[in-house]
Amino acid sequence: MAKWFKYGLITLVISLVVVMGFGKSSALAVTPRHYTELQFPPPPEIKIPPYSQFDLSNGMKVYLVEDHELPLVSGVATIYTGDRLEPADKTGLASIVGEVMRSGGTDDHPAEALNQFLEQQAASIETGINTTSGSASFSGLTEDLEEVFGLFAEVLRQPAFPPERIDFSKKQWRGSIARRNDDPDGIASREFQKLIYGTDSPYARTIEYTTLDNITRGDVVDFYQRYYHPNNILLGIIGDFDSAQMRDLIEAKFADWQPTSQPVGRQLMSLPEVSQIQTGGIFLVDQPQLTQSSVQIGHLGGKLDSPDYAPLSVMNEVLNGLGGRLVNEVRSRQGLAYSVYAFWAPQFDYPGTFVAGGQTRSDATVPLIQATLAELKKLRTTPIREDELARAKDSVLNAFIFNFDTPYQTLSRVMRYAYYGYPQDFIFRYQKQVEATTVADVQRVAQTYLKPEQMVTLVVGNSAAITPPLSSLSPDAKVTQIDVSLPSPQG
Amino acid sequence: MRFFPQPLLFPRLRAWRSAIIVVLAILLTWVLPTDALAQNSDNGTNLQPYIDRVARQISEFRLSNGMKFIVMERHQSPTVSFMTYVDVGSAYELPGKTGAAHFLEHLAFKGTTRIGSQNYQAEKPLLDRLDALFTQIQAAQAAGNAEQAAKLQQEFDQLKAEAATYVKQNEYGQIVEQSGGVGLNATTSADATRYFYSFPANKLELWMSLESERFLEPVFREFYEEKDVILEERRMRTDNSPIGKLVEAFLETALPSHPYGRPVIGYETDIRNLTTADIDQLFDTYYTPDRIIMGIVGDVYPAQVKQFAEAYFGRFQSRTRAADVTVNAPAQTEPREVVVNLPSEPWYMEGYQRPAVTDPDDAVYQMISSLLTGGRTARLYRSLVEQQQLALNVSVAPTFPGDRYSNLVLLYAQTAPGHTIDEVAAAVDAELTRLKTEPIPFEELDRIKTQARAGLMRILASNQGMASLLPEYEAKTGSWRNLFEELKAIEAVTAEDVQRVANELFQPQNQTIGKLMAVGG
Repeated sequence: MAKWFKYGLITLVISLVVVMGFGKSSALAVTPRHYTELQFPPPPEIKIPPYSQFDLSNGMKVYLVEDHELPLVSGVATIYTGDRLEPADKTGLASIVGEVMRSGGTDDHPAEALNQFLEQQAASIETGINTTSGSASFSGLTEDLEEVFGLFAEVLRQPAFPPERIDFSKKQWRGSIARRNDDPDGIASREFQKLIYGTDSPYARTIEYTTLDNITRGDVVDFYQRYYHPNNILLGIIGDFDSAQMRDLIEAKFADWQPTSQPVGRQLMSLPEVSQIQTGGIFLVDQPQLTQSSVQIGHLGGKLDSPDYAPLSVMNEVLNGLGGRLVNEVRSRQGLAYSVYAFWAPQFDYPGTFVAGGQTRSDATVPLIQATLAELKKLRTTPIREDELARAKDSVLNAFIFNFDTPYQTLSRVMRYAYYGYPQDFIFRYQKQVEATTVADVQRVAQTYLKPEQMVTLVVGNSAAITPPLSSLSPDAKVTQIDVSLPSPQG
Repeated sequence: MRFFPQPLLFPRLRAWRSAIIVVLAILLTWVLPTDALAQNSDNGTNLQPYIDRVARQISEFRLSNGMKFIVMERHQSPTVSFMTYVDVGSAYELPGKTGAAHFLEHLAFKGTTRIGSQNYQAEKPLLDRLDALFTQIQAAQAAGNAEQAAKLQQEFDQLKAEAATYVKQNEYGQIVEQSGGVGLNATTSADATRYFYSFPANKLELWMSLESERFLEPVFREFYEEKDVILEERRMRTDNSPIGKLVEAFLETALPSHPYGRPVIGYETDIRNLTTADIDQLFDTYYTPDRIIMGIVGDVYPAQVKQFAEAYFGRFQSRTRAADVTVNAPAQTEPREVVVNLPSEPWYMEGYQRPAVTDPDDAVYQMISSLLTGGRTARLYRSLVEQQQLALNVSVAPTFPGDRYSNLVLLYAQTAPGHTIDEVAAAVDAELTRLKTEPIPFEELDRIKTQARAGLMRILASNQGMASLLPEYEAKTGSWRNLFEELKAIEAVTAEDVQRVANELFQPQNQTIGKLMAVGG
């Protein structure tokens, strides 16, 4: 034992030297070894690229990271907005704003001219609004930076929102609605969210023909004007530039943009209340053409700032990935599914979900559900093994360096934490908490946060071929059918 | 096809919003082999020094057994990406054995004599017995002896359960992930099988050890359980996916008797009938050192990589290279069409037969594809999607489903509500005719060239991207340098070239049309 250790140390020193590049000679013979006999140089140190942060006088927050590897510059603005803030009867409004800001061109550069110019320079500007934020990004060659950045500023400040582009966007959405039942797994994800959050919740509601019809150009302009102000924006830029010159350019393009005196940032966001709508129950979307069922099982989850986020993510590792319990048992041992998973999936500022599921042939639907639930039960009733804990923690900790693989990851993390009001060392606190997680912690969080009685079970599949039937899942099981047929496009 | 489902994106709200994009992305990533350079080219000529600098960071060596290593030094971050590129894909499968290459890819995660088993000595005879029983069951079924088959099946099931007690499930992947490996996965296409992941840079030797043993002493255990997994994968990608079904039917029609005319994942009957002997046969024939190309990109030093590679991969015996596939498909002489009726909104496809990637006009095919759908200013996008609003989207793949041999330029579109496939077809035809009859303006040509150059530039900073592209170019074109040479070919393309190739390509006798028509609801 002691001998082996000593030997290991020597190898370690030798390989260190070679890896660091000091040992150019290949005189040291290498003997092939089985992985258990290898010793490694110490893990690489995390290096965080330097970034600078400053505020413009109008309140815009700016983050800069220089990266001179290639002659490219890109940037992203994050806007305090989100489609959860749109009125329910105009669902789709925020998405249209996010799309047409870019696709409709600006006052000075109509769509055609904007597209032409950007593509001629192999540059891009893209915009969008998702559930919890808005974004605008650009990317271009260093040599075109000034022009591309100028257009980026125009898109943010003077989008034209031409009526024909709004109509075009609506038409595209109508096309998406018509196609939304063509993918069984898409139906499952969509309807599962509705069961958890409720059909009208901003976290589950869907764009409909009628909500599109309710949206006017006036709504689009109003929504834009409400949220797009310099003091409501974080701007991050990364790439091949000199920070002082970049700052001048930003000042030139944005400093004269007047701030709003209305509340901004997180004060602007009154977040919707969240509670689970369906607690428990079995739901079926009957699709007679299918030979495979898509299954989702779960309930309301939590937020990333929970003190138990780290042990919960260790729990995720125990269940998922190669060597994870679900993949080992349900996929590899029982051959029930190609895709099977169970995740505690928290969100930054609203409760996420816990969702398990997978896809399996119709007659294996009930066995898949039972096998998955059995694994969740086991997690609650029996402590995991020490080697499982080690596997789960090591998978996070040994790969931690990949959170710092590119300077862009650092920039976007810094901005994300700022946007959601998280501490900047959040990721390192998480790392420490993962290190500290014990077998007992995993069992405790499984018992506290996984609630079998609240789990909703949703199946998208061919009812007639699901044998044994879903009603056999429990003695008093009642299966509720969900009708996903489309309303008439005429709205 | 890939071994593991795409990392689960946490269920996104209104996931269907992006359904179309996802479908297209899936088409492009698993049906179409990746050719990341497909849409890009020139202008900013001061990019050349950067490209040259990166090219100088790339070196290569070949072991005496024929295995090739391509190493790109990139010290920006202390990580390294690995790609094992095996020059065999579904095109190499024997008749009746479709799906074998992909099945082998799955089995390459099952471990070795030392990894994945509690006791290989005890496990081995059970595995052999299982294979023998499976053959007997097949024979009994073929002879119509149901009673005998059922009896054997019972014995088989018991034995399978016993064999399973020796298995350490997914131990191979577990070692990789526990050691800090990320992105572990594999894909099979018509042309190639790829195995890949990334490690922190201090684990270079661990990759050498694990990856060499993986193919030196593989054990294809859990074969019959994995068959069920693959059948589920087929159900997901093809049988329960309208576009998956259309693609399968389309290729059968467009490329009959051609190795690209069969599905990569395999037909259900073939998958069910595959035996371990079939997989061994494919492995022994094609997983030879001279068909394996390694891409290693990141924080490594070539001298050390070579030293390790010689020790670990030098253990492979050199073997006689199996012959490449030859394509003997009859020449197409008239247009073809296939219609699939499913409860789905309509899709439209057009394919045109084209030569392999090594054709001198390859760059022109790529440019034509960019001209048609490479952005908001591209011709088909503007005409079909924005101006006439007949389609929700339209895409062109310059090669499909592989490109090592003759293949297809593929156009596909989703109709917009209230518009028909015929309207889309007519609008496509009008744009293709314009391409054949009018020389493209300089500005348009120049734009595509600039985009190609910038596109390459954007890939250079990706370890995984380069680890994938370098071996692919080596395998398909004879040298990884063609990744860079291709830019010169693109720059040299003229308006006359585009018009000439468009005229050769877009002819009725080259054309296959595929229609997915709505039935029911």
